[in-house]
Amino acid sequence: MDLVLQLLFTGIGIGAVYALVALGFVLIFRATNVVNFAQGEFSMVAAYLMVVFSVDLGWPYWLSFLIALAGMALFGVIFNLGVYYPLRNRTYLPVIIATIGASILLSNSVLAIYGPQPQVLQGWFDTPGIQLGPVYLDSQYLLIIGVTILLVLFNFWFFEKTLLGKKLQATSQDKEMASLLGISVSTMIMITFIYSAVLGGLAGILVAPVLFVSIQMGSTIALKAFAATIIGGFGDVAGAIVGGLALGVIETFGAAYISVPYKDGFAFLVLIAFLVFRPQGIFGERVAEKA
Amino acid sequence: MPLLEIRNLVVRYGEIEALRGVTIAVEQGQVVTLLGANGAGKSTTLRAISGLAKPASGDIMFDGHSIAGLGPEAIVRLGISHVPEGRRVFPGLTVKENIMLGASNRKVSASQISREADAMFDLFPDIRAFSNALGWTLSGGQLQMVAVARGLMAKPRLLLLDEPSLGLAPVIVQAVFRIISQIRKDTTVLLVEQNARMGLSVADHGFVLETGRIVLGGKPDELWGNEAIAAAYLGGHAKTHA
Repeated sequence: MDLVLQLLFTGIGIGAVYALVALGFVLIFRATNVVNFAQGEFSMVAAYLMVVFSVDLGWPYWLSFLIALAGMALFGVIFNLGVYYPLRNRTYLPVIIATIGASILLSNSVLAIYGPQPQVLQGWFDTPGIQLGPVYLDSQYLLIIGVTILLVLFNFWFFEKTLLGKKLQATSQDKEMASLLGISVSTMIMITFIYSAVLGGLAGILVAPVLFVSIQMGSTIALKAFAATIIGGFGDVAGAIVGGLALGVIETFGAAYISVPYKDGFAFLVLIAFLVFRPQGIFGERVAEKA
Repeated sequence: MPLLEIRNLVVRYGEIEALRGVTIAVEQGQVVTLLGANGAGKSTTLRAISGLAKPASGDIMFDGHSIAGLGPEAIVRLGISHVPEGRRVFPGLTVKENIMLGASNRKVSASQISREADAMFDLFPDIRAFSNALGWTLSGGQLQMVAVARGLMAKPRLLLLDEPSLGLAPVIVQAVFRIISQIRKDTTVLLVEQNARMGLSVADHGFVLETGRIVLGGKPDELWGNEAIAAAYLGGHAKTHA
């Protein structure tokens, strides 16, 4: 039982990272109808920004964190203008190819600068963790879970309670109609890219001390996050969060009870099972969000 | 000076010339109805006015200024609100949210917009009870009410209405047209209709479009009196009803 609780904690912690990246996937997908294959690189770039400011330049952790997030917001602007905007009136295919191209460009640029050796980024807290009864709560996982809860609450408030959130939803449901009402569609998509880049960046910075900072970290996280969106129900915000958490828990238990080397395999086994037996995912595709 | 003046408007979709030199004028305070068969270019005319379709040549003057080539976001800010074909109510937003977003062309606070949206239900009492229902759950008639209410939230000087009667039961069509005759007190309306009888019943002026050209224009009485038009658009029994 103690082990189960311990694994549950770790699983939710890593699952929260998948959930954040999956949320970024879903938001961009809903705004542009395109899957952003560079979503994982958003996390990777942010983690390397942390390495630049916190490790290389030796700036305080909190300052590096804020600058890295601001950098990710700027990165979202550049990504939108460079990758999506020029192709916005084309079909989805050129845009998808462009995001794949951007993903390759980003990881190879970082490779050229930092080389293939993984970098180490320390966690936010000096204390490694606390013992709560039978469960050891790692401080970095606690931070990840806490930030994710806050972001999920923020996300709900933003999209359900603010007029800007409603405009973003309207834009994702019918761009032409949104423009007829005077909603600036290009501004709404810009906001989506910025938000999504910051979300992905946060996930990357939070998970970096748990994993190593490497050029592959983006694709590993993105694959899991992508699987999470399918398990949760593609295009569904709640589905992305639940799917991400579920995936983290499943792979942690799989690694502990079945096989450690096959840890990454469990996520995809679950993905395949969903694609075969319930392709619409846990939450299905709601009619409300179809258009 | 007319509020809206279209001169020799040509619009192409690729190889197809949808409008081949359309010229119409809409005076301030009028309801003008654009009649014509399917594919005659009625919707394209409205799409060109609201900026969804780019004119290949010709000009569109609103309040004395050319708006041809402007984008839809800029045009609705000038005071032209387009309620398009098919209603296009956002399916995942509630009725109230849909109506509130109609004010996106104006700079007003969210609380002010919310109050205005509530007041809009006085004009559309039938949808008040559905204020918190999602768009996709509504019937065709309710969707049309929401779409018109949303269009009015822009406080337009010119309202473009595309086929408000399409697919609605006769009693609902009458309700929609009652609303149009109420709107006309404050707003100039350019109405596109296939239902010529209803369309002309509220109009000060009518135009008939045929394969991208205006073939006839005049007061409703004159259009009713025209044998060829009556036969082509108003049905064989038109004259007896008129």
